[in-house]
Amino acid sequence: MSVYHYLTVSAILFALGTYGVLTRRNAIVIFMCIELMLNSVNLTFIALSRHLNSLDGQIFVFFVMTVAAAEAAVGLALMIATFRNRETIDVDQINLLKW
Amino acid sequence: MENLVQIALQNVNLAAIMPSLVLVCFGMGLLLINVFLPRGTTRPAVWISLVGIVVTAVVTVQGWGNPQYGFSDAVALDNFATFFNVTFLLAAALTILMSDDYLRREGYAVNEYYPLILFTTAGAMWMASGTDMMTIFLGLEVMSISLYVLAGFFRGQSASNEAGLKYFLLGAFSTGFLLYGMALIYGVTGSTRLTEIGAYLNSHSSLLANPMTLAGLVLLSIGFLFKLGAAPFHMWTPDVYQGAPTPVTAFMSAGPKAAAFAAFLRTLEYCFFGLKPEWSAMLWVLAVLTMTVGNVIAISQTNIKRMLAYSSISHAGYALVGLVAANEIGYSGVLFYMLAYTFMNIGAFAVLILVGKQGEENLTLEGFAGLGYKRPLLGVAMSVFLFALMGLPPTAGFAGKFYIFAGAVKAGYIWLAIIGVLNSAVSLYYYLRVMVYMYFRDPTEDYAWISLPVSVLATIILAVIGCLYLGILPNEVMAMAKTAIF
Amino acid sequence: MTAATTLPQFPWLSLLIGLPLAGALLCLLHRRSRQECRWLALATTLATLAICIGLFVACRHGDGPWLLREDAAWIPRFGIRYTLGLDGLSLLLTLLTAGLHVVAVLLAWPEQRRLPQFLALLLVLESGLMGVFLAVDLVLFYLFWEVMLLPMLFLIGIWGGENRRRAAVRFFLYTLAGSLAMLVAMIALYLLHGAQSGSYSFALADLLQTRLPLTQEYLLFGGFMLAFAIKAPLVPFHTWQPDALSEAPANGAVDVTGLLLKTGIYGMIRFAFPLFPNATRDALPLLAALALVGLFHAAWSAYRQDDVKRILAYSSISHLGLVLLGLAAWNTTAWQGSVLLMVTHGIVTGALFAVVAMLRSRTGTRNLNELGGLWGAAPQLSACFLFFALASLGLPGLANFAGEILVLLGTFRSQPLWALLALPGLVFTAAYLLRLVQGTLWGPAPAARAAIPDLTVREWLVLLPLIVLTVWLGLAPAPLLAPLAAVGGLP
Repeated sequence: MSVYHYLTVSAILFALGTYGVLTRRNAIVIFMCIELMLNSVNLTFIALSRHLNSLDGQIFVFFVMTVAAAEAAVGLALMIATFRNRETIDVDQINLLKW
Repeated sequence: MENLVQIALQNVNLAAIMPSLVLVCFGMGLLLINVFLPRGTTRPAVWISLVGIVVTAVVTVQGWGNPQYGFSDAVALDNFATFFNVTFLLAAALTILMSDDYLRREGYAVNEYYPLILFTTAGAMWMASGTDMMTIFLGLEVMSISLYVLAGFFRGQSASNEAGLKYFLLGAFSTGFLLYGMALIYGVTGSTRLTEIGAYLNSHSSLLANPMTLAGLVLLSIGFLFKLGAAPFHMWTPDVYQGAPTPVTAFMSAGPKAAAFAAFLRTLEYCFFGLKPEWSAMLWVLAVLTMTVGNVIAISQTNIKRMLAYSSISHAGYALVGLVAANEIGYSGVLFYMLAYTFMNIGAFAVLILVGKQGEENLTLEGFAGLGYKRPLLGVAMSVFLFALMGLPPTAGFAGKFYIFAGAVKAGYIWLAIIGVLNSAVSLYYYLRVMVYMYFRDPTEDYAWISLPVSVLATIILAVIGCLYLGILPNEVMAMAKTAIF
Repeated sequence: MTAATTLPQFPWLSLLIGLPLAGALLCLLHRRSRQECRWLALATTLATLAICIGLFVACRHGDGPWLLREDAAWIPRFGIRYTLGLDGLSLLLTLLTAGLHVVAVLLAWPEQRRLPQFLALLLVLESGLMGVFLAVDLVLFYLFWEVMLLPMLFLIGIWGGENRRRAAVRFFLYTLAGSLAMLVAMIALYLLHGAQSGSYSFALADLLQTRLPLTQEYLLFGGFMLAFAIKAPLVPFHTWQPDALSEAPANGAVDVTGLLLKTGIYGMIRFAFPLFPNATRDALPLLAALALVGLFHAAWSAYRQDDVKRILAYSSISHLGLVLLGLAAWNTTAWQGSVLLMVTHGIVTGALFAVVAMLRSRTGTRNLNELGGLWGAAPQLSACFLFFALASLGLPGLANFAGEILVLLGTFRSQPLWALLALPGLVFTAAYLLRLVQGTLWGPAPAARAAIPDLTVREWLVLLPLIVLTVWLGLAPAPLLAPLAAVGGLP
């Protein structure tokens, strides 16, 4: 399997993630789709790192994973806060402000 | 592997990250101290964070004319970074000054607010000094994650929740694009270092037309443009700005926005100077779109906070004109403009905070009726900020717009400058409307609830001085902005 | 330079700008005492006027193009300098500005609402106007050009009549839109000049050296003229003006509003025409046509109005049409006539507005249909009104006559057809002014009107110098024409 296969797979994953973000209405599912996008980027980085024989890409992936974890913590906290006040995390119903 | 460790250790140069290091230390220390402070005691936190900012500013200013590079060229504390760092620190200081009383009024006098502002600022500083995609990414995320929390800081208020959540979802979404763009560029050039990318693309000019390069550039730009709030990636801006606590909104539209400009500018100039005609053309369209969308929608707003949000979109559009010009005047114009915008925007929000009532009430135009008579000094200050936002001389707004449009005309983008000026003309209308309410209507209220705490007064006075100084005697700062360009 | 020999070295021109500004600040600081503010403002305007007269006496026979100059670096980054220059043209206009401001402050004496702020704004306006007439660096000029809008916005918007909000906003948006066009043209000219000569500068003297292809010249000329034509106001751009003038507060501000119109004409003479000579030459017939249309249209509109202030507002447009015609005729006689007419019209119309303000404060109305029979009630006031109306109409021996006749003679010399077309316009002027006089002074007095007091001492103090000036300038306009001889840029 060449690097192109990996790149293709990750591109497809990225596109799926994007599609999910745009079509899903539940905040948690949207967030999962975003995670899918980030992980497809990780896959790209690792494949390229291997292909280019450079370590930069792998280091980048570590950063991405760390940041994604921090982001998840903040994001879920925000969702919980929202749910406490509104009892929903459906983005169509979170429309106090004009969207 | 052996090699890498050696290289990394050799090239650590703490001086290159000293300002942000100091700031983060203050932030961390503050988090610890907060544990021991009784609930509701916020004054120490305010003072410590202000001291932290001042110390950082002193450290930062040392770096002027004395560039430091470190971490294998992943960080560069050059004049460019220093200029932006000062802008961020100013924005942070002004924001902190006006926050305490507001937070108390809204019932969220929580100490964690201040470290978060400091962390946001540190993230912004990494973005401005990042010369490696990793540093820029890290800076962006540190900044954004802190801002997600700040936007949703009023956790009992639905509007704030909503702002935080929306900002978070769309922000993370745009990060995905940014990262994918970075990955593609890495794939093409084999490096994450901006200078190396630029050199590689330059020596392999066939790669410039490679779809992967172009896709990388576009995705990367989307990520940055989202943070800038440029159309068509602006849809989050009004909602988040309206829902977030007012000082956070003020801060967000000044500091982090400037940081996004800094990183975007550096990336474009370091990596993609070979593609200048292409991205210039792309940004031309986006700049026009951004200015126009912001201004046209701002006209129909009656909530001043939301109006300022749209106006901030259009101001991002003006600054984008400087990027399109892509010459020395245009770039240094962006630096100057972001500094000027920090003063006028934060000043306007500070007045908004004072006029507003508990629960984010009284932020509509009606709420300003006759303010100029009942509170003459506030009225005058707000007028200065509005005139600056309009871009009238002798205020900072005029000098900034002049700078940027001069760059555009110089680069041959006469039409862009004309469209920019037409947009300024449109923007006159909605800024003027605030003035009309302040002065040409009879007061319906006595504005007795407005107390003028020293800290907010200091913010307003500093902002007025900044607006007038940069407008009347801009030469000093303009010369600095010129030296700050690579 | 003669000036250097007779005047001590001092930044007189900066003083002209700074003094009113300082007065304005003092007024705001002393806003507790209305009386102090009045005297403070009066002292400031009188001092400014004294300096202007001093400059006039000392410098009017200067031999160089500039009688006085000040120059300092301001923003070297963009080649922007703080350059002020005084020549014959600006000398006359600063004199007019200073004089009308004294009148305005005297008229504002009885103002009740927020007097200190009112006076402070008047003084800021004076400072801005002085700056406009003195600046010879384009960016500096633009700065003052915008600065003078702000006090006007507030004067109309806060103290104006019933429709003040609309009038103020409209005035502000119109004029700013125009000046933004000028800003773009200015930057473009600056860059073109820099590319041509290698040195980037906004100084008028440097930019005059620029040679441009005709198309570019047209475009830039258009940008400048848009700003000046809106301010002047030239006919298709004039709609803001009657509103602004009729809503402007009667107590003093309205006189000064008239000065704004002069800045438009001044801008053309100082900047637009000399910077773009070829475009100007080609545009002269168009300018003349617009001037004639303005002359007639405004006269006709004035005839149809019932509001006394609106009549005078339209009459201003009409007179400025004549001024523009003189400029478009492009010969020395007509130009001198135009400048002279500009100054005398400022005095006469200012006086007329002042009389109308006095009238209004007595009768409470400006509507022609509700006035009448004034002659019997207040003969002194009526006599003054009649006198200034006749002066405005161009009666020989009074101020406007010399200017009008010079314009017509000059125009006739180079463009007989234009002069012939303009003549009926003067008949129109006579028609609406007579209708105005007839409607107010004669005819039956409204039944319900209370007794009208005649002129007070303060009012006489305002009007008497104006009457003297009107007669004097009508009989001997030569002193005003003398400084114009050496002005650069005139044909």
